[in-house]
Amino acid sequence: MRVWPGKFWLNTWTGVPEKITLRADRPVDRMKKDTSKRWIAVIGNPNAGKSTLFNALTGLRQRVGNYPGVTVEKRTGTAYTLHGEAIELIDLPGMYSLSPRSPDEEIALQVLQGKATGLPRPDAVLCVVDASNLERNLFLVTQVMELGLPVLVALNMVDVAEARGVRIHPEQLEQKIGVKFIPTQAHRGKGLVELRAALGQRLSQAGERKWTMPAPLAAAVGQIAAAWREAQPAEIRAEGKALELLSGSGEGPEGARKLAMAWRERFGKEAYDWAAAVAGARFAYLRDVLHQAGVGQGWREVGWTDRIDSLVLHPVFGWGVLAGMMMALFISIFSIASFPMEWIDAGFSALGQLVQGHMPPGIFRDLLVDGVLAGVGGVVIFLPQILILFFFLGLLEDSGYLARAAFLLDRVMHRVGLSGKSFIPLLSSYACAIPGIMATRTVEDPKDRLTTILVAPLMSCSARIPVYTTLLAAAVPATLFPAWGKAAALLGLYALGTGTAFALAWLFRKKMLGGGSPPLILELPPYRMPAFRTVLLRMWERALIFLRRAGTVILALSILLWFLSNFPSTSGEASERLAGSFAGQLGHWLEPIIRPLGFDWRIGIGLVASLAAREVFVSTMSIVYHVGGEEGGLVQAMRGATWPDGAMIYTPATCVALLVFYVYALQCLSTVAVAKRETGGWIWPAFMMFYMTGLAYLGAWLVQLIARLVGG
Amino acid sequence: MEKKGGAKKHQPVDLTQVGSGAEVRVRSLECAPGTCQRLREMGFCENALVRKIRGGADLVCWVCGTRVALSARLARQILVEHVDGRS
Repeated sequence: MRVWPGKFWLNTWTGVPEKITLRADRPVDRMKKDTSKRWIAVIGNPNAGKSTLFNALTGLRQRVGNYPGVTVEKRTGTAYTLHGEAIELIDLPGMYSLSPRSPDEEIALQVLQGKATGLPRPDAVLCVVDASNLERNLFLVTQVMELGLPVLVALNMVDVAEARGVRIHPEQLEQKIGVKFIPTQAHRGKGLVELRAALGQRLSQAGERKWTMPAPLAAAVGQIAAAWREAQPAEIRAEGKALELLSGSGEGPEGARKLAMAWRERFGKEAYDWAAAVAGARFAYLRDVLHQAGVGQGWREVGWTDRIDSLVLHPVFGWGVLAGMMMALFISIFSIASFPMEWIDAGFSALGQLVQGHMPPGIFRDLLVDGVLAGVGGVVIFLPQILILFFFLGLLEDSGYLARAAFLLDRVMHRVGLSGKSFIPLLSSYACAIPGIMATRTVEDPKDRLTTILVAPLMSCSARIPVYTTLLAAAVPATLFPAWGKAAALLGLYALGTGTAFALAWLFRKKMLGGGSPPLILELPPYRMPAFRTVLLRMWERALIFLRRAGTVILALSILLWFLSNFPSTSGEASERLAGSFAGQLGHWLEPIIRPLGFDWRIGIGLVASLAAREVFVSTMSIVYHVGGEEGGLVQAMRGATWPDGAMIYTPATCVALLVFYVYALQCLSTVAVAKRETGGWIWPAFMMFYMTGLAYLGAWLVQLIARLVGG
Repeated sequence: MEKKGGAKKHQPVDLTQVGSGAEVRVRSLECAPGTCQRLREMGFCENALVRKIRGGADLVCWVCGTRVALSARLARQILVEHVDGRS
């Protein structure tokens, strides 16, 4: 940070050192000691570069959690002003206006209004606007200003605006609109010093409405606001709240509510579209302000984005590009990831040997090697694949391609009753159904959203990868099944899940829930070089979440399973000891139910254990077959497993049946929990559990039936 | 359904009926209130200037300095008039 000790900082826009003006009520030393940090909400339109700016300001000092009671992701982080004051930033979901139409927009509004549980009302709002698209971006700013909070505007992507011929004079905008504007280029780290300096200063209290209200509306709002002030004389935002009441979204004194209802009815009778009048008046004001401040519309010439779009959105070639992207994604997951996976595997094996070499034989050593290391190692090994998936998703989203893919797929999705917007949650579900289900919050239509939630777990998530790879390796020897064949088989499993998801989406959306699907409205951002810092930060976040899960849930389950499969302790062969253990007893109890699928009691143990998380199947089987954390050892052990009559258990048919079972079964408690919170009850998660388990059982049974028929 | 030419100046037509590259002004929105609201927030408010970039089953428009994709079903509910008298 280019700061002259104590007194000056370098304005990176003008190149001139400027004097630091401190907030009068907060001297530097006091601010550093201040433990009650200021909260600043970061808000902006989607694609305005809000998250990039948030990442640039907070770096690794971020925390990801959920808002209490809902699964909307809450991202907060600590930033420092130029004076060293620590401030808490809260990154709100991208939104076009303060009229919420989806759960994440609803929660953003609640945060701004100070109604979000467990969060204080922000002390100020940092609005991030796309400088090349000011008219639409400032629409939201005018609404935020009327909330009565101090506002600072980050005029982001000024380079894009200038390249398009839009000349912006921040001081003129400041003068016209009444809030401070700071030019930034978040992806290049420009303007951050100025922004940090401005965040440390007293921000102007926004406040009054600047746009002119059309006459019929002004009369209505005036009356409702007067009724409000009569009931609550201290209310300074009566006019804004009157507008909220008129839209039917707010709460207020009875007199004001009755008046609002009467005006709504009157406007309805007179066919006066007051919502259109408000939007029109705001835009007219903004056009006028931008004109006075000398901000032109710029020109729209055929640029790179249009040239790329002519290929990417082409009705024929566009599909080729999409298929190529997906292919590259899957090849990366299964080829590039294999190297770090081997290193992790070798690391855990070495650790196991180290423990065995340095500890005396006994129960504690067995617990460490066969329980902890086998269980956790069997899952951590898949971290590289998960990271590659998130890296690709981040690149696709950040470059602007993901929106094009949604556009292209809209027609296909429309056939099954969904819109292109469901594509992004479904694609995210390839990584993990949890972020996928959480991403459905951007789907505005409730029935579309519910359908997407119901089918999202059918998209093969990364937790299934360990199960698929192990079973595929067990099904056919490597000599008969070359690497490309394995990749094709994996692609087939993904296709099975995806095809079933689409078929069921059609059934649920068109036949069960009914009603038409909503029309597509989607912003197509210009193509940009992805901000690698943002993508890497997201990967880091996901890695931590995954490792935390491996270190808690999977560790606990591994220890529990080790206990269940080793106690009560009996003498004899390893297989006899397992058969007599608690887990063995449970598996034997389950065997009659799963026998028609070709599964024995040991697979039964795996199925029960992986109810909590699918990837636990591999670690469970490692524990069941006493093979430590090595994948190769497990495959050998599985191939050698037999029924009491000596017949092979893991025949190709059984492996395929087990694969089909895992394609369909909802074996992830976290998904059930997220679905419960997203759908607001147990009915839909229970339905999901029921239909997916039924489908898994039926699918596996059909595989065995076909195998018997084909095999004679 | 895209028709090239034929629409007279100031006569409202729906957005699917103008050719790619045409610049039009939004006259009115004939959709559900929630959809109308979202369209207005994204720049498709009454009197806004819109340039149609790409036609087809789903179309792309340039409005308020950004590209917005719309389904043809929705585009049929957006009535526009030509600003230059041409399609």
